[in-house]
Amino acid sequence: MSDAFSERMKNIDRIFYPKSIAVLGANNVRGTVPSDILTNILKADFNGVVYPVNPKERHLFSIKTYKYVIDIEDPIDIAVIVYPSSVMHLALEQCGQKGIKGAIIISAGFKEVGGKGIEREEKIKEIARKYGISFIGPNCLGVINTDPEVKLDASFARKTPDEGDIAFISQSGALCTAVLDYARAKHIGFSKFVSIGNKADISEVDLLYYLKDDPKTKVILLYLEEISDGTALLQAARTVIQETGKPILAMKSGRTHAGASAAASHTGSLAGNDEICDAAFKQAGIIRCEDVEEMFNKAIAFTYQPLPKGNRVAIITNAGGPGVLTTDAAIHCGLELPKFNPETTKILKSELPPTANISNPVDVIGDARADRYNAAVSSIMKDENVDGVFVILTPQSMTEIESIAKEICHIASQHTKPIYTSFMGEADVAVGVDILLRNRIPHYILPESMADAFASTYKFTKFLEDVHKPIPEFEDVDVQKARGILDEALKQGKKYLPEEEAVKVLEAYKFPVLKSGLAESAEEAGKLADELGYPAVMKIISEDVVHKFDVGGVVLDIGTRGEAEKAYNTILDNVKKAKPDAKIKGVMVRKMIPPGEEVILGLKRDESFGTVIMFGLGGIFVEVFKDVSFRIAPLDNIAAEKLISETKAAIILGGARGRKPKDINALKETIMRLSQLAVECPQIRELDVNPLIVLDDGKGCFVADTKIML
Amino acid sequence: MDRVEIQNRIKKVISKVLNINEESIGDNANFIFDLGADSLQSVELVAAFEEEFNIEMEEDKALEVQTVADATEFISQYLK
Repeated sequence: MSDAFSERMKNIDRIFYPKSIAVLGANNVRGTVPSDILTNILKADFNGVVYPVNPKERHLFSIKTYKYVIDIEDPIDIAVIVYPSSVMHLALEQCGQKGIKGAIIISAGFKEVGGKGIEREEKIKEIARKYGISFIGPNCLGVINTDPEVKLDASFARKTPDEGDIAFISQSGALCTAVLDYARAKHIGFSKFVSIGNKADISEVDLLYYLKDDPKTKVILLYLEEISDGTALLQAARTVIQETGKPILAMKSGRTHAGASAAASHTGSLAGNDEICDAAFKQAGIIRCEDVEEMFNKAIAFTYQPLPKGNRVAIITNAGGPGVLTTDAAIHCGLELPKFNPETTKILKSELPPTANISNPVDVIGDARADRYNAAVSSIMKDENVDGVFVILTPQSMTEIESIAKEICHIASQHTKPIYTSFMGEADVAVGVDILLRNRIPHYILPESMADAFASTYKFTKFLEDVHKPIPEFEDVDVQKARGILDEALKQGKKYLPEEEAVKVLEAYKFPVLKSGLAESAEEAGKLADELGYPAVMKIISEDVVHKFDVGGVVLDIGTRGEAEKAYNTILDNVKKAKPDAKIKGVMVRKMIPPGEEVILGLKRDESFGTVIMFGLGGIFVEVFKDVSFRIAPLDNIAAEKLISETKAAIILGGARGRKPKDINALKETIMRLSQLAVECPQIRELDVNPLIVLDDGKGCFVADTKIML
Repeated sequence: MDRVEIQNRIKKVISKVLNINEESIGDNANFIFDLGADSLQSVELVAAFEEEFNIEMEEDKALEVQTVADATEFISQYLK
């Protein structure tokens, strides 16, 4: 750990656990930010000393007030600054002179307004660097730490949240206030609550490292509008998840697809910013959420109950319809409904009425009171075939909502398996829901949300089991040869690698490429076809033709020497018509690859996340079907497997509709060779292997066409 | 009007608008950071300067004036 990193973590700790705070620019005009910041610190009962600073006032809310921060005699841990942006540099300069190492800059008027605001932000960054100050903001709501040791609310939020074990980091201050209000209604507390604003200094990456070691935080929630350093974010997330098992749930706005449509390769066109972000999050183990509700549905599942050991759930309901809905939702989310062991079945048979359904999902029948729920839930919780229990309740006239909620809380406290609940309705069930949530039993209005939350926790436990797989490295590759070809092309100012050279690069990395030759006349084409074997394929070789099919530059299934000679002339005629100015090098002749499934492999460089590897259903309709998935290089075995399994192509490769299963192992190896090529040859900007033909299991796969952009 | 006179009259205006003692206003004092002006008072100061010196200041530029020294320089240019 570097000194700078450790100093930064110390400064962040000062911000969360200060013993003294100076509030620069505070005033007593109620309902304004400078006043509310000061009063929130006081109202939260901050366990330290507060020093208001205001050039005009000698006291604020009966507290001695200083003209300048440098006038304060005592040492100050952090500054909360609410001065207008135009004088922020003066305030921060004085903080530096005073020896303050941590600051929260609330004020707006910086980068977000453009023009002079950008200059102001640069100026305060420069001052912070000069004095070694770490700061949150500017343009933020502030920081809250509910730890009783400090009780810090340095924000202008309406109400200080309860203590809890969820940390929330948000780039939007407004969303922070909405989240606080939402969480309060559901009795959800927070350990730390940080609005990072413009994140001019301290970013979500720093905070992830800090929260990794925060004993009060069990789950980290992130709301991000832009990711400035994706690689650093992924590294921090991996560190948190792998070292501590703390889950990270993230909302990333800006899902709309933009900017990728003009790309030159299929990969470039399909790998938009959001798809890459999605893939990167998955790979690092970050659970991406669509909205605030989903985020908290999952957060409480992680913090309130133990994590499940498997995906087998039991459903207990007092109504058939909701039972079926929940069963559908569970199956849809990849959960299983196991059979109970004989002992459980015996108890259920003796405790429930004859009309009850005693197999999974268990229906305790509409007139069930607390005793029936108790019997069913407690016996099923002991069943070794069950990893978690979903309790559904609909309010009938005789349903003992309050008692049933209390029974569930009691049973949950005696077991280490998770119980989730869905008391369906609103007004009548409210009393029960309140009991459940106060006792940290996750409750969901919709069974779908319940199943989704459980599936998330299960997938996360599986993810933790797989994280330490090594990245394979192929030693049979010729890095120097590949780099030599690429460097030479770059030296000549080429933007595309000619196909025959692209093939050589792939050959250097031992991609499965069939032998081929270049014909410069119809006669040569015929001769080559004879040598390489039939059926043959021929395609145009020209640096000016990227999409060969589109210009009639490819002829397949050539069976004789005569056909090869004819195909040569046809290809040349077609290309000359479609692209009269194209410089033609010749026609490539190769034996046709036997029939198999066509898939696409690709790579693309992303400014934020690094190198993206793509896999999907191949052929000329790649952009139409968009059956592709992404991962960030380098890939381990698990990542390569998931890259394949996330697509519909995986079903086809597995042998859909009576076809023979294809050679997935050969495909996986090719993907990992591509990953190694991507890492070792940064000269490649984009690459498509399309199609890669995957043959029947054990027979390998072959590159049919490739494009490399520099 | 020489710069000293302009500066003295500026300080008088500030003293009146911000309700502070004229003697406590330094030559380089910042209206917000040293004298405690809020955003509304910063606008009021511009209006008061215009009235005092019978000039019309360009609003965007006038609001960039943040100190007594800035104001002295800025208004001197107008009075040339």
